[in-house]
Amino acid sequence: MKQMAASHFVDRTLDNGLRVIIEVMPHVQSAAAGYLVRTGARDEIPELAGVSHFLEHMCFKGTPRRDWHRITIDFDNMGSTYNAYTSKERTFYFGWVRVEDLEKQIELLADMMRSVIPAEEFEMEKKVILEEIAMSADQIDRCVYDLIHEQLYVGHPLAWPVLGTTDTISKLSRDELHGYFEDRYHPGNMILLVAGNVDPDAALAMARRHSGDWKARAPRPRRATPPTLRSGTWCRKVERFKQQAVALAFPAPSATDPDRETADVLAAILGGHNSRFFWNIIQEGIAAHVAAGRIDYCDAAMMIAFGFCDPQRADELLAAMRAEIAKLCDKGVTNDEVQRVRNRTRTGLATEAEAPYYRLMQLVNDIDALGRPRDVTERLAAIDAVTPDSIRAYLRKWPMNGEGALTSLGPRHWPEKAVLVG
Amino acid sequence: MATESTEHRRLACGVELAVLPLEGRRTVAYEIRVLAGISDEPEELGGLARIVEETISKGTQQRSAQELTDAFDALGAQVSSGVGRESMVFRCSCLPEYLDHALGLHAEMLRTPIFPEEYCEVAVELAIQDLLSLEDEPGELARKLIGPHAYGPRLGRHELGCEESLRRIRREQVVDYWKHHFTARRLQISLGGAVDIDKASARIDQLFTGFDSTDDSTGNAPGTTPGRAAEFTPGAHHHHKELEQQHILICWPGVAVRDDAYPVERIALGVLGEGMSSRLFTEVREKQGLVYWVGAWDEHPRSGGRLFMGASTMPARCDQTYRTLLREVDRLEEDVTAEEIERAKISIIAKTQTHGDITRARVSELSSDLYFHGRPVSIAEKNAKLSAVTVEDVRKYLRNHPRDRLCVLTLGPRPLEGVV
Repeated sequence: MKQMAASHFVDRTLDNGLRVIIEVMPHVQSAAAGYLVRTGARDEIPELAGVSHFLEHMCFKGTPRRDWHRITIDFDNMGSTYNAYTSKERTFYFGWVRVEDLEKQIELLADMMRSVIPAEEFEMEKKVILEEIAMSADQIDRCVYDLIHEQLYVGHPLAWPVLGTTDTISKLSRDELHGYFEDRYHPGNMILLVAGNVDPDAALAMARRHSGDWKARAPRPRRATPPTLRSGTWCRKVERFKQQAVALAFPAPSATDPDRETADVLAAILGGHNSRFFWNIIQEGIAAHVAAGRIDYCDAAMMIAFGFCDPQRADELLAAMRAEIAKLCDKGVTNDEVQRVRNRTRTGLATEAEAPYYRLMQLVNDIDALGRPRDVTERLAAIDAVTPDSIRAYLRKWPMNGEGALTSLGPRHWPEKAVLVG
Repeated sequence: MATESTEHRRLACGVELAVLPLEGRRTVAYEIRVLAGISDEPEELGGLARIVEETISKGTQQRSAQELTDAFDALGAQVSSGVGRESMVFRCSCLPEYLDHALGLHAEMLRTPIFPEEYCEVAVELAIQDLLSLEDEPGELARKLIGPHAYGPRLGRHELGCEESLRRIRREQVVDYWKHHFTARRLQISLGGAVDIDKASARIDQLFTGFDSTDDSTGNAPGTTPGRAAEFTPGAHHHHKELEQQHILICWPGVAVRDDAYPVERIALGVLGEGMSSRLFTEVREKQGLVYWVGAWDEHPRSGGRLFMGASTMPARCDQTYRTLLREVDRLEEDVTAEEIERAKISIIAKTQTHGDITRARVSELSSDLYFHGRPVSIAEKNAKLSAVTVEDVRKYLRNHPRDRLCVLTLGPRPLEGVV
């Protein structure tokens, strides 16, 4: 890990409150930059569900200096690998370029953050988003993800779909979108992240040049605390799908909780590569796609075991997942299992340290959740600290041996006792 | 950037090896390409190649399936594999100190698999389930459906075959495929990162010496052959499926990667579909709001190329989307600009540099070079060819390769109007 440790961070706040975090990676030839806006679907009101994501699209549609075509031409003229995404808790705009193009990249992204939200593009983009919603409705994994949130966080903004609904998007006005933009896109609610072979003073100067005159405004409204994850069984019958999606959820540590690494090691042992699910469910021919993982937010999370199967084998899949979870709770995990996860993590971190793009994606997770960057050494140490004993202690604190919350989506009303949701 | 030098050898054991040492890297990556794929399956056994690829890791003469997987994990090796129309690839990334051991495990897996009966049966069962899951992935399903029309019945097969062909597969056929196609002379190994050329060469030579098959009736190493001929059948095909969106795929013949016109085709395709400033994104999505997803891409068996355009849109707008897609190809010859061509060049060249920071991306590129060109091709050589492309070259290419024979596939609630 010697060369990877050569990376280091510079963390400064400009006079207007914009925080700038730079990871200096002397061993690479590229650089990546991105603006994190700390707003997402959970920061919306129900009538405006999908506004954060719509705004992400509109930021590509026009600025005081560029129209939509010029924005895309300028990205492509650098050969940038660029995009943006919106999640429940954030919106992130990013580009990965050759080192010599970093300033151009930051300037372009900064310009987009001052979007004029052109009225003439608004209705056209609405059509694009309605197509995106239609596309999402044809994807079983997205449908079940939305169903889980809708049922497990009922009554809370985490239940809103990131894309919004056909109804909310159809009704959304340009003025409402603009008002949301004014509230959320300001230095106090944004962070500029840079990773690559850069001189940190030069990168800070770029940040000042292109974002230093932004005006600070009131902070984002405080987020409502999500409800405790409820137990229950829900099913959405969608006849056009051929598979049944089965998902079993349990409470888990949030993105800020020190138990998160233990949870992730446990999830890898249960349902990752070379896991118990792989050998005892997939390789038994019960279902081809079964996994476990944690879906986390700043103040809530769930541990989820899920799979997609022949609808007639849903009972068998659920029983197999429950049996593996029960075995885990009863007998714990072995040293070898934990060590295998550590070993894979070590290689994964070495690969991540090669590319500014990978580092940028990890930095945004760490900063959004923990408020600070973590280098690969710290992340490796966190995984190394997980042991069979700490997993046993975790399972006492975050039990998985109850009924949990079961959601099912597919052509069957399954299980029969499930509440059928529309 | 430091000068890079790739070593390319045919080892005494028969393996074709290319090694690209990269200064300052902390990882090493390799790809082992077996020159046999889906099109090498017996006609009635569609899906066999994938079953071989899946089950070859399920135990060797020395280790059980789980012991082999655990052994890779003990090294922290990140391994994956995939099967293509004419080859199969086994990949690995690991820390340099574990390279010898990882190569040893891969050699053991490729040379002495035992294909346990129970794992062969499970692999068939899982492939049948994957056919079901494909029904819930309309984009991928459309690609499966267009394959036979775009490439012909043999090259156009899907890796999953069909349920009937999968049910015919038995362990002995898995073993036969392996015996016939897995030999040192059919292996191309590409290796890069923190690696010593001579040490790695000696290790690989030692590991694969004697990996011959009495059943290898093909004689020559297939890496030197041009590949199977692809058969293109123009026509329009609609597959009904209840979906929110209609999927449209349009395919027409392009050139082979080895063709002199290939760099020109890449640039033309870049103008058409690369990036958000491309013609398709601009005209179909940004100006008309017809789609969320639209794209253009190329695919290449070794003998030729196929160009594709694709989009998904709500059924009421699919005819307009289809017409716009075709119009954009047609007008390219008339009004492509030097500015667009320069942008396409920069886009490809700059991405080579940024993505080149990732060791496994460099190795993947090297592996493609061996496969298509039979030799490593330097970045400088590729970039020089791209840089030399002119507006006239693109126009000439478009004149010489008109989209006058199309294969159109739609998947969704209704067929296109007026498509012949």
